[in-house]
This record gives sequence, C-alpha cells and structure tokens, in this order.
Amino acid sequence: VRAAAPVDAVAYHDKVLRFRGRLAKLGVIFVLAIAAIAIAAPFVWIVRGALSPNDGEFFRIPPTLFPDDPTLDNFGKALAKVPFAKFVLNSLIVAGTITIAQLVTCSTAAYAFARLRFRGRDVLFAIVIVSLMIPIQVTIVPLFLVMAKLHLTNTLWSLILPPVFSAFGIFFLRQHFLSLPRELDEAATIDGAGHARIFFSVLLPLSVGALATLGIISFTYWWNDLLMPLVMINDAATQTLPVGLVLLAGRFSTGSLTTIAAGITMAIVPVLIVFLLLQRYIVQSIAQAGLKL
Amino acid sequence: VSTNLPIVATRSTARNRDRLAAVGFLAPSAASFVLFVLVPTIGVIYLSLFDWNLISNGRFVGLDNFAKLISDKRLWAVYGSTAYMAIAILTINVVIGLGLAVLLETRMPRILRTTFRLSYLFPFVVSASAVALIWRFLLNKDFGVLNYWLGLVHVPRIDWLGASAWAPISVIVVNSWKTLGFSILVYVAGLRAIPAEYHEAAIVDGAGAWGRFRHVTLPLLSPTVLFLIVINTISAFQLFAEPRVLTQGGPGDASRSIVEYMYDAAFQSFQLGYASAIAVTLMVVLIVLTALQFAVSRRWTFYS
Repeated sequence: VRAAAPVDAVAYHDKVLRFRGRLAKLGVIFVLAIAAIAIAAPFVWIVRGALSPNDGEFFRIPPTLFPDDPTLDNFGKALAKVPFAKFVLNSLIVAGTITIAQLVTCSTAAYAFARLRFRGRDVLFAIVIVSLMIPIQVTIVPLFLVMAKLHLTNTLWSLILPPVFSAFGIFFLRQHFLSLPRELDEAATIDGAGHARIFFSVLLPLSVGALATLGIISFTYWWNDLLMPLVMINDAATQTLPVGLVLLAGRFSTGSLTTIAAGITMAIVPVLIVFLLLQRYIVQSIAQAGLKL
Repeated sequence: VSTNLPIVATRSTARNRDRLAAVGFLAPSAASFVLFVLVPTIGVIYLSLFDWNLISNGRFVGLDNFAKLISDKRLWAVYGSTAYMAIAILTINVVIGLGLAVLLETRMPRILRTTFRLSYLFPFVVSASAVALIWRFLLNKDFGVLNYWLGLVHVPRIDWLGASAWAPISVIVVNSWKTLGFSILVYVAGLRAIPAEYHEAAIVDGAGAWGRFRHVTLPLLSPTVLFLIVINTISAFQLFAEPRVLTQGGPGDASRSIVEYMYDAAFQSFQLGYASAIAVTLMVVLIVLTALQFAVSRRWTFYS
C-alpha cells in the first residue's frame, strides 16, 4: 500500500497538468470565438435590419436574432431607389477588366525581369520598386485631368485604365518565376522553343496558383475602391457599387433606414457566396503574398 | 580557339534574342507605366507649382503652394490625425494580429479553425463603404447597439462619431476590424513556414512556451512582421473610405485623413495646384517611411 503512494501522486500530478492543459485550450478557443463573433455579428445584424418591417424593429433594443414580421419589401424599395443592378454590373466590368489587364501586363513584365538578360534591367526593376511606394491616391489629380482631356471621365474607362500597371503584381510574379527551375527553360530551348513559347507553354502553366493569387488580390481591391469612382464618375448610372451604397444612404435616401440595410445586404451576400466558394484559394493567396515578398 | 567561336556566336545571338524579347515582353507594362504612373507623377509635381482652380488659367507660383502648406494649420492637424490613426491601426494589426494568429495555430478541431479563419477574413473582402455604413448605425450615439450594451454596464452614452476624442478611435476600430483578418492570415503562413525542428530543438534545450515564442518564433517571423508593417503603413496612409463614410473627417479635422484633405482641396474647392502639393508631401512621406522601415529592419529582421 505504501509503495503505491508515490505512483498515485504522479498520476494526480498528471491529472492536474492535463486539466490545466484542457482549461488553457478552452481559454484559447473562447478568445478566438469572441473575436469571431465580434466580426460576424455586425453582418448578421445588418441582414436582420434588411428583413425588418420598419426602422423601429431594425433598431429594437435589445436586438433579437430574428426580426418580428420579417419582410422582403425593403429589397424592392432599394432596387427602385437606385440602379442597383447597374452598380453591380459596373463594378464587375471594372474589377474584372483591371484584373485581366494586370495579369497580362504583370506576367509579361515579370518574365522579362526574371528570365531575360538585357541592358538596363536592374535600373528598370528599381523603378518598379520605387513606384510600389506611389499609390494611385498621390497621382489622382493629374489622372483626373488626363481622363477629362481624353473625354473619358464619366465612363468606366477612367476607372479601368489607370490601374493597368501594377508594380506589386510585377514584383510578386517575378518572385514566383524566379522560384521555378531554369532547367525547364533550358530543356525547352534545346527543343527549339523561343521566349514566347517558354512563357506560354512552360512557365504560365506552372503559375496558375500565383496568377490566381494576384487576380484575387487585385479584384477585391478594385471591387471595393471608393476614391476613383468618386473622382471620375459623376453620373449615377455609371457608378460602381461602393459609391452606389453611399448614394443610397445619402442623396437618394428618403428616411427609411431598412432600405439602406437592404442595399448593404445585397452588396454583401454575393460577396459572401463567392468568398465561401473560393475561400481555399483566397486564404492561399494571402498566405503566398505574405511569404513571397 | 576555333572551337570557341560557335559558342561565342550562340551566346551573342542569345543576347540579341533576349534583347528583342525584352522589348516585346515589357511593352504592355511599359506603355501603361508611362501613361498612368510616370506622366501623372511628373504631372503632380508640375501642378504643385501652379495656382489653378480649373476655371481660370493656371498661374505659375513656384514653391508658393509649399510655403502655404507649411503655414497651413489644418494640414498639420490632418497629418497629426492621420499619423495617430495610422500608428494605431498598424499596432493593432501587427500586435493583436500576431496574438490571434498564434492562438489560431494551437491544436484544435479543424472545423473550428476553418470557421475562425473565415470569419476573421470575411470583412477584408467586403467594401469599406459597406462596412462603414454598417458601423455608422452600430456606433450611433442615440440608437446604436454598442451604446446600449455599454449602458448595461453603466457606461454613459458615448458620441462615437461626433466627439473629437472618439471619432478617430471609431475610424481606427472599424478599419482594424476590416483588415485584421488579412494580417492574421499572413502571420499564420509565416508561422507555418517555421520548421518544426527548431521548436523541437528548443524543447530539448528546456525552453518553455514563452521562451520558444521569444527566441524561436519571433526571430524567424521577423520578415513577416516587416512585410506587415510596410503594407499596413502604406495602406493606413491611404485611408479614405472609412473616415469619409463614418465621420466625414470630423468633428473639425479630428478624424480626417490626408487623402481626404487632398480630395477636398482638389474636388470640392477645386484648388488643383494646392491639392497636388499635398499629394507631393504624401508621396515624400510614404517613400521616406518605407525606406526608413527597410533601413531599421536590417537590425532586427532575421532571414534564415
């Protein structure tokens, strides 16, 4: 009996340690869950507002998870007040075209910087790095004047053209190309391939992930931009979604806040669906962007 | 000697081929660079030397705009509030982001980890104007939910958007709330890139959890920290949508960002020369800050 005592003590000690470990794990999950709720709750609350029959129910205190007498009328009212479908379409065209254009300009330039030997390469690349520090906000006044001169303000071109060059994109894809083994190019060269063929048939097929990363980053950025459309576009029918929401909330609003909530909900739900469908790629994209720079 | 000749010849044809290809591969980006980066950058410096309001003809005034900027009390106030908001947003992203990323990487059921990660990241893909509109409701002094909850614990009503002490804090909270998920994910990727052997070696050496964090995780994570500092600084100085939609920069200039100030000078009061001078100061600030960060980082980042 006496000999068993120390074993019991060890077992007891183990039990305490395991209990403390489990407690710590619960504490970690608790902290993470609080953060997740703090981030998700405002979205839930705005959807609740969009379904509320009136502002009183929207701002009911204390808020309930589901509104009394839920209705879909607010969505119709929001659609009637502003050309909502037009905003979405414009945003899609702008962000989509910028993304495709950037993929073309950045991948070709990145190939030149990663794989070609020519005089002035390092100087040109240094210029790319410096321009990384000049965001579009800095040059927005001359950009506006150029677009006005070309009679492109109030057209989607004024939003699409200025971001076609992306220093970040060139830098990111160059890093990626440098990580691909040169032996691949050499093998292709021996087979008689020129640079165009190496680029299209050797490097690009190996870069789908990196291209998707850049595409996702640039699409989200330009889909969400507020400043450019505010400067370049004056006409509601040519506006993009971020400004459209502000218009719905401000100039065009006639009192009912549930209508605004419906507009915000319509702007968020499609993004949520695409986000959930592409989440693996989006997560990978951001992870890669952080690791590669 | 003669056997060397063909090799020299192929080398020089390879060079020529490279040079020719470079022209083709660089053409699309070079054209867009000249039109939409180089010309506007020269343009903004050129315009900053003029007094011009769109209606009248521009008048060359030399460095007058910059002299005016130095004595412009509002500019200093706006830079003050921009720097305050930028530093706070940066600190929250870099410090709290790291804390949450470390917690997220502890052992837990996969479904929980995925759920947490997705909910943290979601606001990052939602437009800032939608986010700011939601928070404008939540932070409302009289009918906002936040003040109601604070009231339950006997905190008097706070004028989140209208008081000069609180307005910048609201912008900081809303912007950090939106961007934190991005920083967390970048950290998670950085944490995963640390080889497990380093942690194992530290455990063998008797290091505790804090010791491992301090002497293994942090040094190996320093390039990620630098990346986040640079990215968050540049994006914090681009702040526009949140103050615009939440507080219109007010009260006074308490939550006004420098981009907002420039926007108002250019497109509300049409002082294009003066706005360009403001833009030039922003460009200088960004270049100096980024260069400074890289210079300082040499001392503390550790590339394995």
